[in-house]
Formats: sequence, C-alpha cells, structure tokens
Amino acid sequence: MMKTAKGAIPYLLMVAPAVLLLAVFFAIPVLELLHVSLLTEQPSPRNPVPAESLVNYARVFGDSFYLRMTLNSIMLGICTTIAVLLIGYPIAFYLTRAGSYERTLISVACLLPMFINVIVGILGWYILLLPFGVVQQTLSSIGLVSGPLLVLRTFPALVGVLTYEHIPFAVLILVASLQAIPSEKINAARSLGAGTMRIIRTIILPMTMPGLVATAILVFSLSTSSYLTPILIGANRVPVLPLAIFSYGTELLNWPLAATLSFILLVLVAVISYAFAAAMSRATRRGAWEIV
Amino acid sequence: MLALRIFVYTIVVLMLLPVLITLPVALTTVPRISFPPTGIGLRWFVAIFGDEVLLKSIARSFWLALGSSTIAILIALPCALAIQRGPLRGRTLVETVITGPRMIPQIVLVLGMLVYFEQIALAETFLGLLVAHLVLTIPFAFRTLLVSAAGLDRRLEWSSAVLGASPVRTFLHVVLPQLKTGVIAAAIFGFVLSFNNVTLALFLSGIGQRTLPVEMFNRMYVGGMTPVIPAIAFVLALSGVLLFVILDRTVGVYRYLAGGS
Repeated sequence: MMKTAKGAIPYLLMVAPAVLLLAVFFAIPVLELLHVSLLTEQPSPRNPVPAESLVNYARVFGDSFYLRMTLNSIMLGICTTIAVLLIGYPIAFYLTRAGSYERTLISVACLLPMFINVIVGILGWYILLLPFGVVQQTLSSIGLVSGPLLVLRTFPALVGVLTYEHIPFAVLILVASLQAIPSEKINAARSLGAGTMRIIRTIILPMTMPGLVATAILVFSLSTSSYLTPILIGANRVPVLPLAIFSYGTELLNWPLAATLSFILLVLVAVISYAFAAAMSRATRRGAWEIV
Repeated sequence: MLALRIFVYTIVVLMLLPVLITLPVALTTVPRISFPPTGIGLRWFVAIFGDEVLLKSIARSFWLALGSSTIAILIALPCALAIQRGPLRGRTLVETVITGPRMIPQIVLVLGMLVYFEQIALAETFLGLLVAHLVLTIPFAFRTLLVSAAGLDRRLEWSSAVLGASPVRTFLHVVLPQLKTGVIAAAIFGFVLSFNNVTLALFLSGIGQRTLPVEMFNRMYVGGMTPVIPAIAFVLALSGVLLFVILDRTVGVYRYLAGGS
C-alpha cells in the first residue's frame, strides 16, 4: 500500500500552492497578531521593538468597560441565534413540504441576504427604521405611534438586522437536515396513531438536532464577530468587541490593544461554541436512544 | 398549517422589504433620502454613471472579484484532486489548514493581515487586497471542488489512458468536463463572496483605493449619502437575484451551499 516517495511528489506539488499561500497569508498573520497583543505599546520608528508583557490582557480584564462590551457581544450573539432558529426552523420545515413554485419564491426571499451585499440589506433597514422613515410613517398613519420612532440605535434593532442577515444559513442547513429524515419513520409513527405535535417532538426535532446545533454555532460566531451592522445600525450606542477592534486597529492606531481584544473575541467564540456543542451532543445522544 | 403559512409569508415579506424599499427611495428627484418619494424620476440611476469615484470603485471590485475567484479555482482545483485521490497521509492536516480561515472571525483575520502586510509592504496595495481575498475564496472553492472531485468516475480516465491519450489530454477532455458544474459553482460563489466582502477591503484598502462596498459603507457612515447609494444598492440586489435564479436553475443552490458550510 505504501507509495514510493517518487509517486507522491506530483501530489505534493498539487497541494503546495494552496497550503503555502494560506500558511503565509493566514497562519503568519494570526501568529503575528498574537505577538502584537503582547507588546506594551504600538511599534513606532522611535521604539520599533517594544517590550512584551501581558499588560494589555490585564488592562482589558481589569476594566469594567471592556467587560460590559464583552457581555454585550455575547448577548447580541445569543439573542440573534435564538431569533434565527425560531424563524429559520419553521421556514425550513415549510420549504421541505412546499411545491416547486412556492419553494423557489421562499428560497429566493430567505437566501437573498447571502447573495446581495450585506451593505444593501443594512441600507434597507436603515431607511426603514430612520426616526421619520418608512416604518414610523406607516405606524403613525394607523395611529400606533406619534413623533419620531427611536429604534434605529437600539439593541433590538441590532438583533433584528443581524437576524435578517443570518436567516439564510439557518435555512440552508436546516433544509438539508430536515430532508435527511426518512419518510418511513414519520409514516410509521402516524400509522401507529401519533399526532403531528408528537411526531415533531419525538422524531423531527431530535433527528434535526445536529442541524440545529450546527446552525446555532455558525450564527453565534458570525453575529458575535459582526462589525458592519453594529457600526451602521447601532452606531456605537451598543458597544461590542468588533467595534473596539476596528477603532483601535485603524483609527486610534493602538494595535496591541486591538490584537488583545481580537484574541479575547476569538477565544470567547471558540469556548462558547465548543461548550455548547459538547453539552448538546450529550443531550442528543440521549435523544437518539429514545427514537431508535 | 394555515398559521405556519401566514408566518412563512410574513417572513418572506420582511426579507424582501429592505431590498425593495431601496427602489422608491432611489426614484426620488430630491438629493436626500425621503419616503414617500418626492417626484418620480431616474435622476439618481443616471447619476451612477456621472459619479467618477463610484465608477472606479465598481471597476476595482469587479476586477478584484474576477481575479480572486479565478485564481482561487486554479489553486484549489489541483489541491482538491490531490486530496481526493492522492496517497498523501496528511490529508486531515491539509484540510484543516485550508479550511482554517473560515473558522476564525473575519475581523480578527483582517487585523492580523493589516499588521503583517505593513511589515512586508503589501498594505494599501491592490495585490495585498487580492491576496487577502484569496484567503477567503480558496477555502470556499476547495470545499466546492472537493464535493465535485468525489463524484469523478476513474474508469473513464483509465479508458482514456489505455486508448493512448496523454495525461494532459485526459485531464482536459475527460476529467474537466466532469467537474464543469463544480467549477462553475465555485467561480460564481467565489465571485459573489469576493465582490460583496466589506471587512477585508475596509481595513486593507488605502485612501482612494476603495472597493464598491467600502465606498457605500463610507458614504453611509460618514454621512452625506445621496439617493445614488440606494440606486446602486437596488441594481446590486437585482443582479444578486438574477445570479441566484441562474444558479438555482443550473447547478442547484442547496446542493453546493449546504455542502460548503
């Protein structure tokens, strides 16, 4: 079975460009960022090689401002994830049972944010939610609100727009996961007298649990690290980690602090995702026994 | 079932609303964002062609997306083929390295690139931006092409070799046609991914070197946005829908996108 070294060389040459390019332009920048996060000050012509220490991490962990910012980021991620799952699951369920024409229409609508520029979606919501924008005028014409509508710069508006952006991921993953359920299982349950709610609770939900977990992790990590929506819809009223990373990284030119916040964000997302996946896999394994 | 249908269609309307609203706002004849539109005219759609900065940013975005999606396929295709059938033992390692960029937040990745590019004089250059976009598009092209390469029928290649075709000829006339759908899907998704990306260009493009999404972002963020931005947004959305329908009818959106994530 062992191939000779000579036979492996063409394969190595085929793999090399991709691996080298990503090693140089992905791995090195990330390692470099880790190094920068340890510097005590921004490298400058006067001080090109600053001393290394954990002072930035100490500063971030000792400041309640950054703590609140981190909590905001996590809350934003959790709220968005829950909203995306609550909306995406019924849609995916409906899609698997819809006719061809209906399926295309709903797919286009629900996958649209993936195909158009994220700025276009944000711009649309921005126009809709302006203090004297479309939503305010509609609501006040039927007498629901009076005066300017103050939702644009709030946490719920942020969750709403992020939910809009991430629904496509949920729909894609959940449709695939719902389609994988063998219809014999459902027919068997039905012929044995199970009602629709019971079938959903005991068959469909447990069998799509891996899809739900995958969606939750993806949406959580994307929305927690999202930058554009918080800056354009929240405009610094809802401070989150990516906003600080951008502002220290490009405007205030404090790379060490920006790098420190980046790694905190990275570790935070990774740890929460991993813990959630581990907890859920234990739960689903138990669920799997019930449906066998 | 009726309640579900009402819910689904409410969401459908909400998903379309932000895209559709850009049209009436762009059709106005006054130089500010207002609704309902004051007067109806194509003034702001025409204005796109008179806006030098905007046109340049569109051209830059187009070449960037075209370049990064094409190069990504040229780099990812041999790699996907080698991984699919090669005797390499480090398969998992290679796959981890290649899909790595998808695992970490883009804002973290781009900050690292900003720091590193500053050291190797790639900062604020088109080449730097292209390389950054490749880091984004190669993993995507790789996943898509790997799905495609798994479906290759090796017996056809053997037949071709037995009948005396050279490896190059076999590749061009036997392997490549089988990979056609995968390559088309990877090209289109790569183009869309790169054209629409904001974060990378926001950090890495220099002054006067903005891509279209960054130019739009800037006009929204800094202020002074005229209805030319909703106008271009509507055009972008329309081309997005068009691409989607073409893809869905030819390649199948669910198959490739769900497999990719």
